[in-house]
Amino acid sequence: MAEYIPEIHQAVLPGGMRLLGVEYDRVPWLSLTFMAKRGAEADPPAKGGVADWTAEFLTLGTRKRTQLQLATDIEARGAALSARGGWDATLVSLEGLAEDLPELMATLAEVVQTPAFPAEEFPLLQDRRAAELAHLLDDPRELANRRFTRLFFGDAAYGHPVTGDLETLEAIGLEDLKKFYHREFTPGDSTLVVVGMAPFARMQEEAGKLWGGWQGGGPASAPYTQAPERLCSPGVYLLDRPDLTQSEIRLGHLGLPRSHPDYFPLRLVNYILGEGGFSSRLMTRIRSDLGCTYGIRSTFHFRRAPGPFVISTFTPGAQTALVVKEIKAVVQEVMENGITEQELAEAQSYYVGHFPLGLETPRHLGSRVVSMDLYNLGWDYLRRYRERIQEVTLSAAQEAARKHLQPDALVALVVGPAAQCAKDLEGLGPLEMIS
Amino acid sequence: MTLAPKLDPAVWQPEIEIIPYRLDNGLQLFVLPDHRVPMVSLQLHYHVGSRFELQGITGISHLFEHLMFRGSETLGPEEFSRILQAKGGEINAFTTRDHTSYFENLPAEHLELGLQLEADRLANLKLNDENFQTERQVVISERKLRSVDSPFGLVLEQLFAGAFTQHPYQWPVIGWDQDLKRMSLRECLSYYQTYYHPGNLTVVVAGDAEPDAARDLVDRYLGKLPSPGPPRPLIVQEPPQRGERRAVLKKVSQVEALFAGFHIVGMDHPDIYPLSLLAIILSGGKSSRFYQEFVRPGRAVEMEAEIAPPPWTSEDPDLMVMTAIAAPGQPLPQLEEDLWAALARLQKDGAQPGELARAQKLLRAQAARGLSQNFYRGLLVGLFHLKTGDAGRVNQLLKLYEAVTLEDVQRVAQQYLREDNRTVVTLKPVSPEESQALGEMV
Repeated sequence: MAEYIPEIHQAVLPGGMRLLGVEYDRVPWLSLTFMAKRGAEADPPAKGGVADWTAEFLTLGTRKRTQLQLATDIEARGAALSARGGWDATLVSLEGLAEDLPELMATLAEVVQTPAFPAEEFPLLQDRRAAELAHLLDDPRELANRRFTRLFFGDAAYGHPVTGDLETLEAIGLEDLKKFYHREFTPGDSTLVVVGMAPFARMQEEAGKLWGGWQGGGPASAPYTQAPERLCSPGVYLLDRPDLTQSEIRLGHLGLPRSHPDYFPLRLVNYILGEGGFSSRLMTRIRSDLGCTYGIRSTFHFRRAPGPFVISTFTPGAQTALVVKEIKAVVQEVMENGITEQELAEAQSYYVGHFPLGLETPRHLGSRVVSMDLYNLGWDYLRRYRERIQEVTLSAAQEAARKHLQPDALVALVVGPAAQCAKDLEGLGPLEMIS
Repeated sequence: MTLAPKLDPAVWQPEIEIIPYRLDNGLQLFVLPDHRVPMVSLQLHYHVGSRFELQGITGISHLFEHLMFRGSETLGPEEFSRILQAKGGEINAFTTRDHTSYFENLPAEHLELGLQLEADRLANLKLNDENFQTERQVVISERKLRSVDSPFGLVLEQLFAGAFTQHPYQWPVIGWDQDLKRMSLRECLSYYQTYYHPGNLTVVVAGDAEPDAARDLVDRYLGKLPSPGPPRPLIVQEPPQRGERRAVLKKVSQVEALFAGFHIVGMDHPDIYPLSLLAIILSGGKSSRFYQEFVRPGRAVEMEAEIAPPPWTSEDPDLMVMTAIAAPGQPLPQLEEDLWAALARLQKDGAQPGELARAQKLLRAQAARGLSQNFYRGLLVGLFHLKTGDAGRVNQLLKLYEAVTLEDVQRVAQQYLREDNRTVVTLKPVSPEESQALGEMV
């Protein structure tokens, strides 16, 4: 068998920033990611979206090049620059052909270190974002995701969509982006990840030249690690959309931070509950037995602070209450009676067997390395991953299910035609209409 | 600095090693050995999609794809997926207008199991009324998700229904609601018998496999199944369009939008290469013409010229689709006028050398990136064979793009992006009350 688990090379650059490199020889590709380890959770209050807007703004002009010059030069190399705010981190990525390594590395450094914050670009960004956000309301899935985030976390740090909301759009000014940049982009809390067809010595040499003198800003915000004290009360919430034929359904409760010791048992339990496609209990019940949906999935969003646990699906309007009820019953069943030995063994062999696929491309590798660094998973994480999956016992998995699935705490959001589903939903308990 | 040869981009060879085999029953096999990760992508491409359907049974190809997961004489519903997933497999399928493709990205040691189960569902599929009814409901829900409740699903359906008057590309892969409701199990059985056999099947094994050993395994499980021979070729041509066609669709929406479809070519036609480059020149990336003129200044949420590049290009001539989504408050008629003006400039003046070079390098980069995945390598080879009969062409792709000249780009812009050759559907936003008064959306 080929040795497919790569070595992760490390160096600390003169300015204090960490460099992580992976040599990749299958195709002549280069994937560069700059990560500032603060993201949308560090957005100022009532200004959700600042991290994400800041990231995009960096691509709109540097001290040397305008937006058009930058885009033209990058795309002339067949490369792509992208920048986004996420939870816990803000990422600026540049991917292209390995033959262009010096230019691509220099361009990423230029974008991150010397943004011009051109004032004339700001109203254009505002207009684009306003249009995009308005348009998103036409997509029921997106609307449900965004509304659930807001409903569930309220004013807490994870309580807004990372790209912001129409309601808060006007509140954000160019100064907010500059402040975010000058506070959160600092070498001590940033990492450069390079995956590509080049020896690490070369990556290090280029990075040293380009980043060694970068002072950055800071000090970065204190990392957000604690769950909020108040969350949305359990119950059913309905956002009426009479024009829809189906309901989008989200059910969730608070999950765990990425650092929680039950991470592996709970991943396995959740695979069995709702992440394992046709192997999952939710898919079996709601799709295969009842034919009520095309797809259903449950996800624990493991972040620096506890993220949400969310079950997502959709169903024709008239079946909404049935589906909500059945989902709760499945969660209750797994919480109370646990999983079987065979289910656990199959979930384990899925993750073990599937593991190499997640290391196939430079992009896959880059995102693995980014999360290893962001969440301090240890540099032996990839080598020990399969062992950690396999060492989970049935009793540990049962215990994780009992402790971390909370059917009584579920907040259910329905975005759908009230005329077809409100009456039945009332039969499930108190129903609150929201706008 | 001297580079280790494996880490030197200059010595990289983009060619895919393709070992073809043809089994006695007509099954076409391609093995693409690559041992970087201990995985294989096993792909079964049946040469049947919505193009082979008739009015009244539209959507049957896709519904049938669902039924293939509902069990065999020995396996229960979805057990196929469960067994292979439990080995670490990534299992899925997709139906297009031209083919229905099933794939398993698996640890290499489970290739045999994958083949065994694929052969089982091909030979012993359990088609009963219970499975049929459940899956029909699932597909009806899927149609509501993808077409009815999605922002532009119905608009795009109307675009293709208007642009194609005789060719089966006029209906959506998922099928019309009426047909999904009236379709019978009997029709599915007949479809299965006609199209699901080794004579209509291309198998690809891409990844950590030895070619002859893989051939032996495929032969062991699929080589003995009978085949009536390939189905009769379906030759159908859409007549040339003789004048612009327009339609309006009203629904609840935050934005006004316009979709324009221009008849172009299928995958076997050499113009697909300049057309792919043309689409990038118009809207690929943030230095493109459309981004700079429409998106960056906030006039349009989206302004795209879309073409499915090989290997996703359809077998028969398709549409190049222009999508213009007006930003709120921006008048759509003005956006439309400026879109046509942008096309007219390209037709009159052609593209700049820098624009063409950028588009060519972008495609080269995308090709290099794609080749890092067994799954994509397999799709390239399998779909090129299926749609053009020439799998080897995948190794000419970069040269075909590089050979395109500025004159080619200008010529295809003039030849295909004509007013008489286009169909335009606009989305007009209405209130929920008006929407309800217009009748049910299906």
